[in-house]
Amino acid sequence: MDLGVKEGEIYGFLGPNGAGKTTAIRMLCTLLTPSSGSARVAGFDIIHQSLEVRKKIGLVSEKLIMYPRLTARENLMFFGSLYGINQDSLTKRVDELLDLVQLTSFKDRVVGGYSSGMRQRLNVVRALLHDPEIIFLDEPTTALDPQSTRFVRDLVKELKGRGHTIVLTTHIMEEADELSDTISIIDHGKIIATATPQELKKKCDADNLLDVFLTLTGRQLRDSASDRIPMRRTVGRM
Amino acid sequence: MSDRVQAWLIPLRIARRDLLDLWRAKMLLFAFLLMPILLMSMFGYMFPPTPQANQFTQSVPTAYPNLPVAIVLTDSGQQAYDVATSFIQISESRSLFIVSEAPNFNAARDELVRGELSGIVVFPEGFSDSLKGGQQALVQVTVDQTNPQIASVVSGEITTVFSMISSDMAMQNVEQMMHNSATVNPEFVLEPISTNGEPLIAGNSSSFQFLAPGFMALTVVFGALSGVGFAISREREQGTMDGLLVSPIPATSVIAGKILSQTVRGMIQGFLILGLAMAVFGVRIYGNPIIMVVVMLLGVASFVGVGIILTSIAPEQETAQMLVILLQFPMMFLSGIIFPISQLPIWMQAIGKAMPLYYAADALRKVIILNVGFDVIAGDLVILVVYSIFTMLAAVPVFKRAMTR
Repeated sequence: MDLGVKEGEIYGFLGPNGAGKTTAIRMLCTLLTPSSGSARVAGFDIIHQSLEVRKKIGLVSEKLIMYPRLTARENLMFFGSLYGINQDSLTKRVDELLDLVQLTSFKDRVVGGYSSGMRQRLNVVRALLHDPEIIFLDEPTTALDPQSTRFVRDLVKELKGRGHTIVLTTHIMEEADELSDTISIIDHGKIIATATPQELKKKCDADNLLDVFLTLTGRQLRDSASDRIPMRRTVGRM
Repeated sequence: MSDRVQAWLIPLRIARRDLLDLWRAKMLLFAFLLMPILLMSMFGYMFPPTPQANQFTQSVPTAYPNLPVAIVLTDSGQQAYDVATSFIQISESRSLFIVSEAPNFNAARDELVRGELSGIVVFPEGFSDSLKGGQQALVQVTVDQTNPQIASVVSGEITTVFSMISSDMAMQNVEQMMHNSATVNPEFVLEPISTNGEPLIAGNSSSFQFLAPGFMALTVVFGALSGVGFAISREREQGTMDGLLVSPIPATSVIAGKILSQTVRGMIQGFLILGLAMAVFGVRIYGNPIIMVVVMLLGVASFVGVGIILTSIAPEQETAQMLVILLQFPMMFLSGIIFPISQLPIWMQAIGKAMPLYYAADALRKVIILNVGFDVIAGDLVILVVYSIFTMLAAVPVFKRAMTR
């Protein structure tokens, strides 16, 4: 797999289930060590300069990264403290971010009691605490209602507007179409196409990205199974 | 703030968050605090105080007071009646037994089988005649063998009461036999050599005094072993581990934070046990509290590495839990905390002595009861330190590998 993401763009990363999207993202975030190959994120090598890479990236993973028994504010303050931000600027940053996702009035309530939409909004801003250059969003709108979906998509656009580079995976083709500047389609661990959404549609002579996707990856169901269950799959999303 | 200061603060922050999490989970907190209390009360009452003083003169209450015992007077002579009366008097004045009279052995036996009696004392036909005729007389004692613990207590106490009666009678006999020569002391004839216990530690001690330090070590160490492991596997499954690992902190800071919070938890439980043991079961601390804390910390240190390794190699929490229990059970019984292990076969003793808990419990016991300094427990401590270093050194790469695969 060979890919390059340009600074300041939204890079849509699409592919059937099991194609390797999440694996690729986890490798880029230094959460998985690649068995071969190399990559640089924000100019740093993901294997040998992992701490530097982590300072530059924010991850909105498939699973919620929030402690359910802590309040929104406590969660953000805790994760922020891991980045060595001083207390005063962190407090300000947390208030700002809570305001950004309209959760200020719920900031002292425990996250376990939040609705899915609220949790996901909070989950997105958790990745923004240290104002990272690059933000990875792994299926950020899965299982959200239309209001929350709209909110999160607008937030992603706004982040792009603020100069962040964004890598997005999703199974919702209209979302990829709406947000992405560049789209890569990955299948069987290989990238089979990289282009703007418009180019892809033109090339495949299709009206929408769903048809493009099916043309390129086929209609066959992707069934594969490994005997080893990855830890992150043993329980579902919170 | 410098990076070095930061690096030290991260484990503290992780530990503080873990403890806040425990504080928020009220039911968990309740169980967490109740567990040592329950454990301590259970074992405290299960292992009764051991009498220290001479059994003929002491007044230490029995562990199982007022057990129901029946007397069957098959012999109708005066001597049998007198001895039975003495038996009742002694038993009741010392709250050993509540004595009733049964018409015959079979009736008493039925009651014993039904659990209404704990023992039967039969004065057989010819008891009085034997005594009158200058022969040794026998009483027949039957206890409920299906309850070995009570059975041995009852038969022991019955024997004691009869030896008291017997030695009183012997004293009279000897005096009668020797009333002409006053130079001989009847005690010299009956019991030329007597023993008197000189306790190792002052005051009245109970076997619980010896158990409490072991349980403290056990609780602290088990807390560390399972706590660190469960904390890590839960965060992995919950997804929050990703949040820790994707931030610019080394994996060792995550481990250090988890170890710190679990140590604090273990210490809270350990001291709760000690407090309870002191307040309710009369356990006394003779040793230096600082040495105690050092021993407990080393006990924890020797186990967290093992906990981390087990959790890291297990695919999920359930397996991790089972692996930890697999290690805890033999450790509980083979570390000499509940039972001394000297009666076990050599290979089992070897397993017990291969576990650091054995040394932590041994050292803690010596510190608390015998008030020893570092010099006496140095051997134990060296083993714990070696264990700690090796297991922790092994744990860090195993943890890192498990987290990034």
